[in-house]
Amino acid sequence: MKAFQYTRATTQQSAIDAIAKPGTKIIAGGTNLIDLMKRGVIAPDKLVDINQLPLNSISVNKLGHLHIGALALNSAVAEANLVKDLQPLLAMALNAGASPQLRNMATVGGNMMQRTRCAYFYDTTMPCNKREPGSGCGAIGGYSRMHAIFGASDKCIAVHPSDMCVALAALDATVTVSGRKGQRLIPFTEFHRLPGEHPEMDNTLAPGELITGISIPHNNFAKNSYYLKIRDRQSYAFALTSVAAALEISNGTIKQARLAMGGVAHKPWRLFDAEKALVGKPATEESFKQVAEIAMQGAKAYEYNKFKLKLAPATLVEALKHAAGLV
Amino acid sequence: MEDEKDYALPGFDTEAKDNSRRNFLKQSTLLTAVALTPGTAIKAADMRLDEKIAEAFEKMPIKLEVNGVAHSLSVEPRATLLDILREQLDLTGTKKGCDHGQCGACTVHIDGHRVNSCLTLGVMASGKKITTIEGLAKGDELHPMQEAFLKHDGFQCGYCTPGQIMSAVACIREGHANSEMEIREYMSGNICRCGAYPNIVNAIQEVKEGAQAV
Amino acid sequence: MTNDTMTKGMSRIDGRLKVTGAARYSAEFTPAGMVYAVLVGSTITKGTIRSIDTKAAEKAPGVLAVITHINSPKIAGYQVEPGKQEPAKGTYKLFYNNKILFNGQPIAVVIANTFERAQYAASLVKAQYNAETYQTKLADNTAKAFAPEGDGKKTRGIADAWKTAPVKLEQEYIIPSESHSPMELHAIIAKWDAPDKLTVWTKTQGVQDTQDGIANIFKLPKANIQVNSKFVGGAFGSALQVWPHEVAAILAAQVVKRPVKLVLGRADMFTSVGYRPNTWQKIGIGATTDGKLVGITHEAAGQTSTYEDFNEDPVGVSRSTYACPNVNTVYKISPLDIGSPTWMRGPGEATGAFALESALDELAYALNIDPIELRIINNAETDPDSGKPFSSKYLKEAYKLGADSIGWSDRKAKPASLSKNGWLVGYGMGVGMFGAYRDKASAKAIMMANGTLIIQTAVSDIGPGTGTAMVTIASDIMGIPADRIRFDMGDSSLPQAPSQGGSSTTATVGSAVYQACTDLKESFQKLIGNGGTDKPDYVEVLKKNDLPKLEVTAAVSGGPEMEKYAMYSWSVHFIKVLVHPATGVVKVDKAVCVADSGHIVSPKTARSQIVGGAIGGIGMALMEEVIIDHRYGRLVNNSFADYHLPVNADIPQIEALFVNKPDPYLNPMGAKGMGEIALIGMAAAVANAVFNATGKRIRELPITPDKLVGMEDLLES
Repeated sequence: MKAFQYTRATTQQSAIDAIAKPGTKIIAGGTNLIDLMKRGVIAPDKLVDINQLPLNSISVNKLGHLHIGALALNSAVAEANLVKDLQPLLAMALNAGASPQLRNMATVGGNMMQRTRCAYFYDTTMPCNKREPGSGCGAIGGYSRMHAIFGASDKCIAVHPSDMCVALAALDATVTVSGRKGQRLIPFTEFHRLPGEHPEMDNTLAPGELITGISIPHNNFAKNSYYLKIRDRQSYAFALTSVAAALEISNGTIKQARLAMGGVAHKPWRLFDAEKALVGKPATEESFKQVAEIAMQGAKAYEYNKFKLKLAPATLVEALKHAAGLV
Repeated sequence: MEDEKDYALPGFDTEAKDNSRRNFLKQSTLLTAVALTPGTAIKAADMRLDEKIAEAFEKMPIKLEVNGVAHSLSVEPRATLLDILREQLDLTGTKKGCDHGQCGACTVHIDGHRVNSCLTLGVMASGKKITTIEGLAKGDELHPMQEAFLKHDGFQCGYCTPGQIMSAVACIREGHANSEMEIREYMSGNICRCGAYPNIVNAIQEVKEGAQAV
Repeated sequence: MTNDTMTKGMSRIDGRLKVTGAARYSAEFTPAGMVYAVLVGSTITKGTIRSIDTKAAEKAPGVLAVITHINSPKIAGYQVEPGKQEPAKGTYKLFYNNKILFNGQPIAVVIANTFERAQYAASLVKAQYNAETYQTKLADNTAKAFAPEGDGKKTRGIADAWKTAPVKLEQEYIIPSESHSPMELHAIIAKWDAPDKLTVWTKTQGVQDTQDGIANIFKLPKANIQVNSKFVGGAFGSALQVWPHEVAAILAAQVVKRPVKLVLGRADMFTSVGYRPNTWQKIGIGATTDGKLVGITHEAAGQTSTYEDFNEDPVGVSRSTYACPNVNTVYKISPLDIGSPTWMRGPGEATGAFALESALDELAYALNIDPIELRIINNAETDPDSGKPFSSKYLKEAYKLGADSIGWSDRKAKPASLSKNGWLVGYGMGVGMFGAYRDKASAKAIMMANGTLIIQTAVSDIGPGTGTAMVTIASDIMGIPADRIRFDMGDSSLPQAPSQGGSSTTATVGSAVYQACTDLKESFQKLIGNGGTDKPDYVEVLKKNDLPKLEVTAAVSGGPEMEKYAMYSWSVHFIKVLVHPATGVVKVDKAVCVADSGHIVSPKTARSQIVGGAIGGIGMALMEEVIIDHRYGRLVNNSFADYHLPVNADIPQIEALFVNKPDPYLNPMGAKGMGEIALIGMAAAVANAVFNATGKRIRELPITPDKLVGMEDLLES
């Protein structure tokens, strides 16, 4: 690891000022950043530790909107009664990610900022447009088993590795960011981006902007939510595919649905069309199979991830069955 | 406002305050000169003066309370807590298995919570209370979890064991040891290649059911 | 020796050190002045180093030296024999020349005063290469495979006789390369005590074999090399030879004239210390309609490196497991531009048993005979390969024990006909066998005046609990409690012992300890006179004779029985799986492993060894696979995030059962090995259970969800 300067930010403004300088990175939990620095994928000159900023609260307002500070630990969010009661889908997704130790370190903001786990991104001797724009994509034509089936480009087919973000995308969360120009809100589904021509950019955060928190609007999904993650072992592994499913069911009929997939795209993949198609339908396996077909429209596989064309809809149907209480 | 408060520890640079190390460099004429002149820098390298510059640039003072003992150390910001424990404090009970947060052998408690020390920078742990496997027993009296691992043979080679035990203690404290399935899930951050998992689960269940203080 | 020793169920003698963090492994010593070395690996797969720029690394803070093939001191043992162009095939020769033979090959070692500095400086070393075309894919290179020395084609009876059988099948089975992945990273601390005198602390399964290895490489007198390895954090075969990183640390210590510590990174562990080789197999098998085997043809092609012929004879299982009149086997190895494979738990047999035990299962379905019944029909009463009687074999009892415990009677003969809560349920079994050996070993037994017994031998313990077993044996003979016995090991200066491998430690070293203790007790009995007593008061006798201590060294080796009998350990693995039909997720619901491994010396640690091996087998079956991107010849999953080992959530309670009947010939304890058989046969048991659950036969490991996804119709029908 390259030597770097380390400082602690004591105010939000000082953190924002610091990251405006090139070569400076924010560190919170560090679970992904330190890993990447050890491998030489990222080599900042300076780290600004923001852990002392008071951004770790979990609260609910009068409208029932849940607010979570960017520095709230993944474990703290997953364990919080407010979260378990109001947004159990988020708690489930968090608990499906990483390990208890890592969840004790990783923050909500850091989880959003984590980079892809694509092997070609991690190995600095391999081509990767995300790590080194213009060097090519190692995964295309390479070992693409873990890679995208939606929204990829000829520059990058990497996937976003987070579980938490899949739930937040489904739950219509909003991201609060602060920069030199002040505060702004970004819908969660617009926070991460597709690779397009610029896979080096994971998200829509402007230079010098800091995530300060997320908000989840009130909903009636708590009773019928499920996060299902399919992986190569039962725990402590990244998703082959995952689905966050949230339903509002009344007398066996679906009133509202929110669906997002993980392990399939450069961002949490929200399934808007499938959600619409579910509304008004009976909460049955038959309905779920129908919308799974809709969900898979436009999917495109590569050499080693063709199985995801079957696994993704199967995961979706299974997650919906769990959410609807059919399993 | 809350964020006006200065949380910094003595000896730390903060973005809000003057940079003390920068001040140090200003005061050190020799080092400043060497640092600023490329030609001299090369010569300095030959003379191994670069070492001193590097020391000044690279090292920071930290305070760690490890197993109840206070340590004042000077470390590079890039040194992980794991390497500091093993290489500087000779606390080799905490193991390096992967160095990337993918095996759990390096699990320690920071302020009572289990974390991977390989992904924790020493400078970030400054001012915190750290418990390692060496701090679990009370003198000759083993911690109940250590006793249970012995009794249930919760290990073979013993290399992942300190991490498993630190994790197991936390697993109970967190309230995640209520069933075999829950224990298995919440112990999945600690890989054991010898395959002692069933014995580890049995050890944790016994401690949990024994309602001993952990 | 009785089944009920006075220390039955004894906890590990080194357990306290392990649970308190006080056990020190190879990287955990600090000789004065120690510095750190980090290796630099090649980034191409084959070719030559055109130039190598070490300037930036040399100038980096704290760096003491950078060693490459250009400035490396000559290594005496690497010299080419007169008249030869290249050194003989064998272990990779560090810094020997500018040739690159595999991706990740060490091309430089950087030594600095801290680990952080050495690691960073290593990243500054840049090489320019002349790259050449290479081959890393076994599937494309089976044509150039050749028969290794001593193996190759073997025929008993009529070749390809299976083709004439009324019921027959022929199938191909593939296992990927697998990584040993012990939790402890391979590490060494090298310290030169004098220009020709060396001490190392290194991860090894055999301190004296490492001593020999270093002596050969550096052309030093063996007596001048001290090897220490008291605690070994797992190895599974990866620490049975002197590896290049060990040579690098010893060289580095020579160059910087200070003790040097070198710890491999986890990524290097996948390329630098061997692996179980990717192997293709084909089995043709035929039987009469009542299940009598007519013939087996077993072919295999495994990968090796270009610089070393690695031969593990995976087809041997087909010659010895079942009574079959006609068996022919063909084994070849294919040299690829990749690092050498090495022995990994159950070497050869684990690979071969996946194919054979899968094929037996397929045959059972074809015959409509229960898989256990088919095996009993073809049970070998004498070794079919050598014709010799078995020293002991209780496999039929093992089938019964395991079948009862797993609930085999609940199994349905028709695949995909059992389900529970939306999951398909299946049962499978597989047999493991491995030669039971006994090698040469010595042990010293010392009775001290205070009544402490010290046992010394140069064995290593990579995890099974060797010390615990040895103390159990000593305690049993001497009639003293285990806590009065100290066991010294892992030190090359102690009495001779072989490396810990091939499931032979208890049989070999245990025999030496047995003999040393027996002789020591006899010495006391002689001192007492009149034939002594069965329970001498050792302290009293020493006092009476005014002796500070009494010691005996015994050297033993396998007796003539080894020629007379075929000696094997046997295991049967039973598995119950749940398979999710839509997503293809497989969960092991229950596992039962039965070992026919003679008398069980140390029950508690033996149980752990069986359970651990079973888990290794479950990993082999369900998730382990080293993956190379053949466009680069480089691994793409050389981390624990991407190379999956089983985690706690994957593993249910595992039942370990023992036939526990002594072998009358192998050694005085009646013990046989169990380290290998704990794993051998498990992968097939899992695959067979998956077939029983789904009707889908997976012949290429691992059985990941992608290979099973999309079977939801099974449940509906």
